[in-house]
Amino acid sequence: MNLIVSVKNATKDYMLGTTVVPAVRGISLDVHQGEFLAIAGPSGSGKTTFLNLVGCVDTPTSGSVEVAGKDTRVLSERELTSLRLHTIGFIFQSFNLVSVLSVFQNVELPLLLQQTLGGAERRKRVTELLERVGLRDYLKHRPNELSGGQRQRVAIARALVTRPQLVLADEPTANLDSVTGEKILDLMKELNRADQTTFIFSTHDARVIAHANAVVRLADGKLVDRLSAAEAAKLGLVAGVQAAEAH
Amino acid sequence: MGDAFKMVVLIAFRNLVASRLKTAIVGGIIFFGAALVVVGTSLLDSVVESMSRSIIGSVAGHAQVYSAKSRDELEVMGGFDLEGPDIAPIDDFAKLKAVLMQVPNVKAVVPMGISGAMVTSGNSIDVALAELRGVVRKKIGGDTSAATIAAYDDGKAHVRQMVKVLEGDIENMAQLHDEKTLAPEDAATVRKAAQDEFWVEFDKNPLDSLEFLENRIAPQATDADLLFLRYVGTDPAAFARSFDRMKVADGTAIPPGQRGFLFAKYIYEEQVKLKTARRLDKIKDGLDNRTVTIASDPELQRFVRENHSQVREILLQLDGRKTELFRAKLRQELGSGEADVGKLLSAFLQTTDENFARRYAFFYKELAPALELYRVRIGDTLTIKAFTKSGYVQSVNLKVYGTFDFRGLEKSPLAGALSVMDMVSFRELYGFLTDDKRQELAALKAASGATDVSRDNAEAELFGKKADAVPGRVIEADATPGLDADKALSGLAGRLRRDDLAARVFDPKQLTQGVVLNAAVILENPRLLEKSMADIEAAGAAAGLPLRAISWQKASGLIGQFVLMMRMVLYTAVLIIFVVALVIINNALVMATLERVREIGTLRAVGAQRRFILAMLVIEAMVVGLLFGALGAGAGAAIIAVVGKVGIPAANQIFNFFFSGPRLYPVLGATSLGAALAIVLLVSALSSFYPAWLAMRVTPRQAMQSED
Repeated sequence: MNLIVSVKNATKDYMLGTTVVPAVRGISLDVHQGEFLAIAGPSGSGKTTFLNLVGCVDTPTSGSVEVAGKDTRVLSERELTSLRLHTIGFIFQSFNLVSVLSVFQNVELPLLLQQTLGGAERRKRVTELLERVGLRDYLKHRPNELSGGQRQRVAIARALVTRPQLVLADEPTANLDSVTGEKILDLMKELNRADQTTFIFSTHDARVIAHANAVVRLADGKLVDRLSAAEAAKLGLVAGVQAAEAH
Repeated sequence: MGDAFKMVVLIAFRNLVASRLKTAIVGGIIFFGAALVVVGTSLLDSVVESMSRSIIGSVAGHAQVYSAKSRDELEVMGGFDLEGPDIAPIDDFAKLKAVLMQVPNVKAVVPMGISGAMVTSGNSIDVALAELRGVVRKKIGGDTSAATIAAYDDGKAHVRQMVKVLEGDIENMAQLHDEKTLAPEDAATVRKAAQDEFWVEFDKNPLDSLEFLENRIAPQATDADLLFLRYVGTDPAAFARSFDRMKVADGTAIPPGQRGFLFAKYIYEEQVKLKTARRLDKIKDGLDNRTVTIASDPELQRFVRENHSQVREILLQLDGRKTELFRAKLRQELGSGEADVGKLLSAFLQTTDENFARRYAFFYKELAPALELYRVRIGDTLTIKAFTKSGYVQSVNLKVYGTFDFRGLEKSPLAGALSVMDMVSFRELYGFLTDDKRQELAALKAASGATDVSRDNAEAELFGKKADAVPGRVIEADATPGLDADKALSGLAGRLRRDDLAARVFDPKQLTQGVVLNAAVILENPRLLEKSMADIEAAGAAAGLPLRAISWQKASGLIGQFVLMMRMVLYTAVLIIFVVALVIINNALVMATLERVREIGTLRAVGAQRRFILAMLVIEAMVVGLLFGALGAGAGAAIIAVVGKVGIPAANQIFNFFFSGPRLYPVLGATSLGAALAIVLLVSALSSFYPAWLAMRVTPRQAMQSED
């Protein structure tokens, strides 16, 4: 299977005033096409920073991050932006929809930025995708007319509309109730299965982890281990969820 | 790019609607600013336009040319200095004209010399006494016809009326001033002349009484009204041809080859007309053209008050017969039993909105025919005295041929500021003489040598002569007040004055050659003014005739400066408003940007390049700027359109001056609109710079930050 992400001994330091805060301290990780990977760890473990590195939002202080075969360290700001536009989709914790645009326009936006598809094609793709996420009847609604779950579906549609190789989701269910969060995860997983789109999502919610087919655990900016779904279940990482489901 | 751009515009619009308050504040400022620019510049342009029309069309031409050797700068509209600037004469106008006409774009050249003089109108008591003396002589000579007796009674009553007015003046003075400042003996003589006994005595011994009146009373009755005249000596025909709006309002033009004077109609009405009548005219003008009422307008109230309290000028004109006439007419009109004409006049002139129309008509129909409405009549001879360059006092007698004004500028004080005299008289008045004349004078001077004529003799001789030659009164003018009487008319001056009287006719060629001080240049295309001025100076230098060319604006001195100043004030106001607007808009956009950090970060994360963000914000600012700027400019244009139809009434004389008439009809200039939109766009662009820079620094990472 194709290697989508290859992180080698990456570090990322932030300056907080005059002190250097090491957020990521030497992580190496390979992610292959079609994976549905959870990044787990407590707050401050470096999940978000790691996702930023993989998402080409940041570049590593040392080590290397390759996304779709491209070393992000040697890319310019514009090239990084372009890489994000064409190969990566983002799903945010707070949905981050453009409030003044309709559902349809929010989803269409990345395609407009790409400037590769004509109007009719865009319309077709956006409509189809919104149908898949169950929002066929909400094309003209504004984000503030939707529930949290619906908004996140719009965000998912937006992330997938460019048919990216990789979708990054930073705590995608943190702002949703558990039932809705579950449904969002199901949706993501379904899309992952159907299109072989690679998903990497960060979470510290054990129930969410249960949906992943692999779990990478971080602590203090370091990779603790990489577990398969079965191993994770064994370790009880998903016990809570199973208990809840059994209930 | 097209669809993405549409999206950017859509986001911009939607954001504007979403943050309505911010948009309203920013838009309001831009709206107001744009409207102000349009209205302000249109008004100013209209004022400048009407003033420039007044100045260019009445005397200045597009440019004024004068000798580069001059010590001062030329000022055609006059400063506060009576003598005017020191301008070096140009010896030969023919040469100057030849040089100037070669310059491309020069359409016409008009010879000029501009100066001013204080003119004292004849002391009315002197005139009345002289007339009375004439009648007394006839009577003593044995003429006892009814006409002579009537004339005698009339004249006597007239002088008595004047003495009474004088007595009133002295009473008023006594109230206003410390007793010490009034010479007690003067007051006593006036009181004596006012008594009945004096007039009984007058019948017995008229010559002695006349002498008393002439020597003791008349000197006290100096009419305070000095007439300050500014005039341009020119070739009257060329002047009328080149300033083609000029038209003769009363009388006729100065005939070719004649010495003569044409009053500017405005000055003639404003300064020469009987003040009471002038004030009535102005009240009428206010009621008719400015649609104000006496009850509401302080200026009209002042006119009424002055008319009501200042009947002296009319009283001085009333001899016995006229006094009777006025008394009868006014008593009938007012239904009053009052015997005192002064009080009747005063009551009559106490006009109100209700009775004004009737009284105005009555004044002109019933009273005016018996009055001298103008201190100087058309056909009178005006004597103007001036210091020549060499220090002599020179004087010329000029027939007043009429008055003139300029079409469309009839009510412009600017266009009506300068009267016209022929260039030949002007040259002689100021001693700017041709070589021929200079030689002739040297000969004259040698011949006249020591035969100085005393002032009194000269006066008597000259006025005697003149009275025979030309019917009408003589009005004397002093070009420089306070001149030394001993020096004034000695020798040469006296001779010249007689020369002047003898040689009223001159060769019209003298107008096209000989000395001039300056020349007005009319251009084919006024837009090329700057270039033409440079060309003129270059042509002058090439011809060995160093010239200075100045624009009409500069030539109009203080007035031109004032226009410049008004422009500066407007531009400063606009600048301040837009700096404030800039700061406020900038702040609003910075706030908006900070509020939208997450949205911008998201767009960046999703793959929007920085220039997309920049375009989004700049378009947002531009949309606000253009939309509200266009609305504001439209509102300004609408205001100007409405005001341009109705006209802005000149609230008072000062505005009359700047509006070049009683109403300003502003016209919308394309430049005003253009300037407004350009400024608005510039301000919008400038004010979005900093917020846009902030927005461009937003990283996609900031999209990840959670809301809490």
